[in-house]
Amino acid sequence: MITVVTGGSGSGKSAYAEDLILSYGPAKRIYIATMFPYDAESDRRIERHRAMRRDKGFTTVECYTALSEAQIPPGSHVLLECMSNLVANEMFQENGAGGRTVEAVMDGIRMLQKTAAHVCIVTNEIFSGSQSYDEGTRQYQQNLGAINCQIVQMADAAVEVVYGIPLRIK
Amino acid sequence: MELIVGGAYQGKQAYAREKFPQAAWVDGAACTLEELLGAGGVYRFHDFLDRQMRQGEDVQALPGLIMAKNPDLVIVSDEVGYGVVPVDAHERAFREAVGRVCCALAAEARRVHRVVCGVGTVIRDV
Repeated sequence: MITVVTGGSGSGKSAYAEDLILSYGPAKRIYIATMFPYDAESDRRIERHRAMRRDKGFTTVECYTALSEAQIPPGSHVLLECMSNLVANEMFQENGAGGRTVEAVMDGIRMLQKTAAHVCIVTNEIFSGSQSYDEGTRQYQQNLGAINCQIVQMADAAVEVVYGIPLRIK
Repeated sequence: MELIVGGAYQGKQAYAREKFPQAAWVDGAACTLEELLGAGGVYRFHDFLDRQMRQGEDVQALPGLIMAKNPDLVIVSDEVGYGVVPVDAHERAFREAVGRVCCALAAEARRVHRVVCGVGTVIRDV
């Protein structure tokens, strides 16, 4: 079963997604961390998320690219956070999928769907800012937008979180 | 407390004034903290957060302060954070702060309204 949790930055979507996974009851809980620690600011963000999920029984699996190769125990409850970082890694990291980003990510999602009992995917609304972005950023929006549409189509439920308040979109 | 959020230029202030005609309003882009804590309503609350942050103030304490000193305040804020992560560090911190502060306010609010194209929807009502 797949649930997609989306929202703006700072909307409370991570806390909501963690609570959702806990609500599924006891199981092997896997947190797929996709944020690459490339500077002090991302280190602080990673530490904040670690503190949030401390004592919630998650085993962290770091996965910056090639989600389909991640080692996921069968029947586990998986929280993937977050799609926006995974897509950026695939597009812009040296060993990323580059022009095959959408396909590579969707292969990974299909692997999760087959392997895990519950999958919660946190993604990000980055589509309502300005349009004065460079070509690479626009391509990034296009890829993430396409992936969001595809994963919500596969999903059993999708929720937009607005300042901690869940609005059901599917 | 009532929280009214939505994108920029969505008619939030007009909606708020219609819903709360008795409130004495202050402008978050100009008011002091004391004025905010004594007001009936504040619009452009996100601008208040921006000004506080630029003065080096920690805005995370603000929700608790509002609940303690002015629990009936009507707060109108832009909803930010729906664009690509900005290059500018202050912009990133600002988006994050608006998010965290509004999450805390929303959790305490009697009602949360979201305004799109001038139309308000109550998304939380306790």
